[in-house]
Amino acid sequence: MSAPTTDDLHAITEQVWLSYLDPEGVNPFLPSPDAPPSPHVIAAVSVTGAWEGHVVMTFSERAAELSSAALLGMGDDEVTPDDIADAVGELVNVIGGNVKSLLPDGSLLSLPHVVTGESAGNTRWPAAVEVCRLQGSWQDEKIAISVWTSKSAGEGA
Amino acid sequence: MKILIADDSRVMRQIVTRTLRQAGFSGHDLVEAADGRQAHDLTISEKPDLVLSDWNMPEMTGIEVLRALRAGGVNVPFGFVTSEGTDEMKQMAEQAGALFLITKPFTAETFADVLGPILG
Repeated sequence: MSAPTTDDLHAITEQVWLSYLDPEGVNPFLPSPDAPPSPHVIAAVSVTGAWEGHVVMTFSERAAELSSAALLGMGDDEVTPDDIADAVGELVNVIGGNVKSLLPDGSLLSLPHVVTGESAGNTRWPAAVEVCRLQGSWQDEKIAISVWTSKSAGEGA
Repeated sequence: MKILIADDSRVMRQIVTRTLRQAGFSGHDLVEAADGRQAHDLTISEKPDLVLSDWNMPEMTGIEVLRALRAGGVNVPFGFVTSEGTDEMKQMAEQAGALFLITKPFTAETFADVLGPILG
């Protein structure tokens, strides 16, 4: 079964940035091989059914604030923790929905799940393996997007 | 015209509102619903002229809202604004009576093209 690739994530991310986070095309997301530091915010949606796995976005604290402010059209000093949870949840929902369009029919997308603060760095996906990752920076702040699939699917079960 | 925007994300309701304005559809009366149940109930009580609905929402999904409305004899023009645009979902949407399915991320141009014939 074909799985999403980093190139797919790049194409989806470009679309999302041009539509919502960088409509003027002046602050694109810049992919980078550097490993991101421990994240402060994690947003995830799960896929179940014909394909099983997770689509996960990780943000530095500042990246989450900047993303939320851009989505809400407000100053980054005005966003509240609730704004951030809503905004990054919606961001991963949009990216997850587009990833899902690459997966077999019969796959279902969950509602988003967001973890913030120190707990974010401890988030684990014990039943899944990473199949692709796009990481980089936006306005000098780290963001990573990864797709994980069920270990049993990875073993060809 | 009165437009109902149904999405469980306040951020996305705001983006839809902003995009309607950017697409040249200012001055319409906007009503917001934060989940599927609210979307269903507000469609009946507020009688909007158009419903723009997310698909994946708590309480009722967008497709459940549309099916319940049609089963109840409510034939309001209804379209989806969703992150999921598979052929399978487009087909389900069409069969249930949706006029269109706009995929997130969307632009003001997409809104103008799709909603122009409806909003004038």
